[in-house]
Amino acid sequence: MHEWALAEAVIEATAAALGDRSPSCLRGVTVKLGELQAIDHEIFSFALDTLLQDRPFRAAVYRLEKEPASFRCGACAREWSLAETAGLGDETREAIHFLPEAAHAFVRCPSCGSPDYRVTAGRGVHIESLTLDAAGSCA
Amino acid sequence: MIDPRSSVVRRRLAGIGRIAAFCSAKGGVGKTLCTALAGLVLAGRGRSVGILDLDLQGSSTHLFLGVPPRLPREEKGILPLPVTARLGLMSAAVFAGNRALALRGPEVSDAILELLAVTQWGGKDFLLIDMPPGIGEEVMDLARLVPGMEAFVVSTPSMASTAVVERLLGFLVEMRLPVAGVIANMARADAAPVRELAARFTVPFAGEVAWEPDLERALGSPQLLAGSRAAASLAAALEEVGW
Repeated sequence: MHEWALAEAVIEATAAALGDRSPSCLRGVTVKLGELQAIDHEIFSFALDTLLQDRPFRAAVYRLEKEPASFRCGACAREWSLAETAGLGDETREAIHFLPEAAHAFVRCPSCGSPDYRVTAGRGVHIESLTLDAAGSCA
Repeated sequence: MIDPRSSVVRRRLAGIGRIAAFCSAKGGVGKTLCTALAGLVLAGRGRSVGILDLDLQGSSTHLFLGVPPRLPREEKGILPLPVTARLGLMSAAVFAGNRALALRGPEVSDAILELLAVTQWGGKDFLLIDMPPGIGEEVMDLARLVPGMEAFVVSTPSMASTAVVERLLGFLVEMRLPVAGVIANMARADAAPVRELAARFTVPFAGEVAWEPDLERALGSPQLLAGSRAAASLAAALEEVGW
């Protein structure tokens, strides 16, 4: 249930982003789940639903979207996907699940073997957008 | 795009009484030793203590405290690894083991934020943060994310250390980060340069951690470390500054 901590962060960030606006203005929240962190969709969704029950914006719909992970090598400029990263065992995947930067201890560029690369997409959890009621009263 | 993690950091740290980062602009002066000893000393007084090792690329607190890296237990987040009954540890080594963790600046910030957002410390009297050498992302990120954090600044009496640590003290003062105390490590009755450095910035000089040639034998054993002369001198230094 490590997902709970990140779901809680999403709820707190939603509240902060709403600021002084009426909670009823919030229609939906789009959350991206980075492939690298391998968040369990079902557990995360359950945590969000549970945490939302105590919030004034509980009617908002949270849409969870998977974001594919991609990497770019700083040495040879190769770009690759997580599917092209072979040989990660269960324990390694679990370590990356807890701390995505741990990938830098295990993943290497499939072309040149360099450890010098960036995760260009799909690292972890972020809020992509909030959808507010367009009818007004959201000042 | 909103990064939600910073929204929950204060909540994660809300149950902690005091937070201090053990820092130095110079490497190899004993930040990790002082952090580990402080954790053992405070826990030995019956207080509950957490240690967060943020020296991501050179994490070694687990080695000092004899904690083999293993994945943490989960409970609405991740739980620190137990060191003793009252002392818990979280470190990047838990995830990367003994492999090199080569990170660029933004990745360092990401890792720090992730650890702060997902580690469930629960109620603790103290959280001690072992910092990497330098004045980089770690110091600036913590100053922003952890309001109320204090700093213990560690230096050896050597000019090679004090001249560099002077820059850190200037930076901390500029950032308005409260300095709990300056600690002179590896002192052999010659701590005056560190004492003078603290006086120059009008911050407290906590005391000296005595040079102990046999300390290497205690590394990896919380019991031996807690019983060392170094631990006794650090305990006095903490008391000197009200810790």
